[in-house]
Amino acid sequence: MRAAVALLVVLTAAGQSAAEAQADFYGRLGLTGATKLLKDDILQQIEVRQSLAPTLALGVSVPFTPLYGVGLEATVTSSGFHSTESGSQTDLGTLRTGSIMLGLGGPVWRQLRWRAGAGLLSYWPAEKRGIFLQGGSTRFLVGAGLDYQRPVFPQWDLMVSLRYDFHRFTTDELVTRGFSGTQGVQRVSASVGLARGRR
Amino acid sequence: MKLLDHLPILFGLGGAVAALACADIASPSRADRYEWRRIVATGPGTADTLSFHWPRSRLPVRVWVEDALNLPSHVQGGIEQWKAAFLYGEFDAVIVPDSTTADIVVRAGIPLKGGFSVIRLASTAPECEGGTDFDLPSGSLELQPPIRVFINPRFDPATPGVAECLALTTTHELGHAIGIFAHSPVATDIMFGDPVVPALSARDRATAEAAYHLQPNLSIGPR
Repeated sequence: MRAAVALLVVLTAAGQSAAEAQADFYGRLGLTGATKLLKDDILQQIEVRQSLAPTLALGVSVPFTPLYGVGLEATVTSSGFHSTESGSQTDLGTLRTGSIMLGLGGPVWRQLRWRAGAGLLSYWPAEKRGIFLQGGSTRFLVGAGLDYQRPVFPQWDLMVSLRYDFHRFTTDELVTRGFSGTQGVQRVSASVGLARGRR
Repeated sequence: MKLLDHLPILFGLGGAVAALACADIASPSRADRYEWRRIVATGPGTADTLSFHWPRSRLPVRVWVEDALNLPSHVQGGIEQWKAAFLYGEFDAVIVPDSTTADIVVRAGIPLKGGFSVIRLASTAPECEGGTDFDLPSGSLELQPPIRVFINPRFDPATPGVAECLALTTTHELGHAIGIFAHSPVATDIMFGDPVVPALSARDRATAEAAYHLQPNLSIGPR
């Protein structure tokens, strides 16, 4: 978690100096939903899934042509996660994630822009137990999304974003316990915030 | 027009993601486990199979431990080992200060068996011995708490090997107390009748997991 905060501070600082270089920097709040983290079978089928997670996203985007830009975006989420077996759910505690993604962006239509990139996603469980007995894990991440920006103040735009990303999940404990392969996890987030920068 | 320019990139990315998304993680086989249920003869050629695990509503299980023979440390170690056997929060336990509220009571020594309704599961390591008593009244399918665990050194506790024996025997007896009502036939398992290994094996873990994912036919009464 400390690493995420440090990352966000660095990004914010980078965003402030980048603003002077005609870059966008932005912050958004939203929600992220994810597909299952794990499917297991111990006499009955078990699924592990994160709950809908409040999300904070901070990023900076620097144009390299009049239409295209390169950007760095960091997000943190925090929510519960649970297992489901025979229809009954068991709370497994709190799970935070942090991701950083380097991407490209370009125009779609009017103030709508696309973004696509790759990066890293880390899982930070609140407790080292169960599937996270040996700690969290860091995975490669690819993603894409759409941003809509509309001026609301002289220096600030309203920013509405949709994001989709994908990674393959496992943990050291799951590997130790004999799980093979990894689980594809898809996440979708919607968020709203403010962007400041070039016009 | 601009959107059309970018469609190949977006479709390419989408296709790559879809290809990556296909396979699920594969769970391990847990077939290598031993019989954990208690099979009791009920008459000529007939038997009953008794199984138990702590229900989620009773977690964390409350354990009281006598402050002797370094038992609090051994019990804490045993609890941690059994908790770590589970991936989905199936079992949890805490040490409590008052035996009157405990679900499991751990004491030093081996007293006489408490009565006809008491089932004793015993372990017989060379340096120490242990026992776990369950009170199951005749004709009932409800265990009466607390489950009582006894740990007893056969020699002076300072004798080499006794402390290690007390630690692994405590973990073994806690295994009975969480619902493994039988002994493993394999010496590398902590639930072997004469336990010699200090830690749970993969078979112990698989057995504990099976015990907690099969509907038990014994319940436990209120404390």
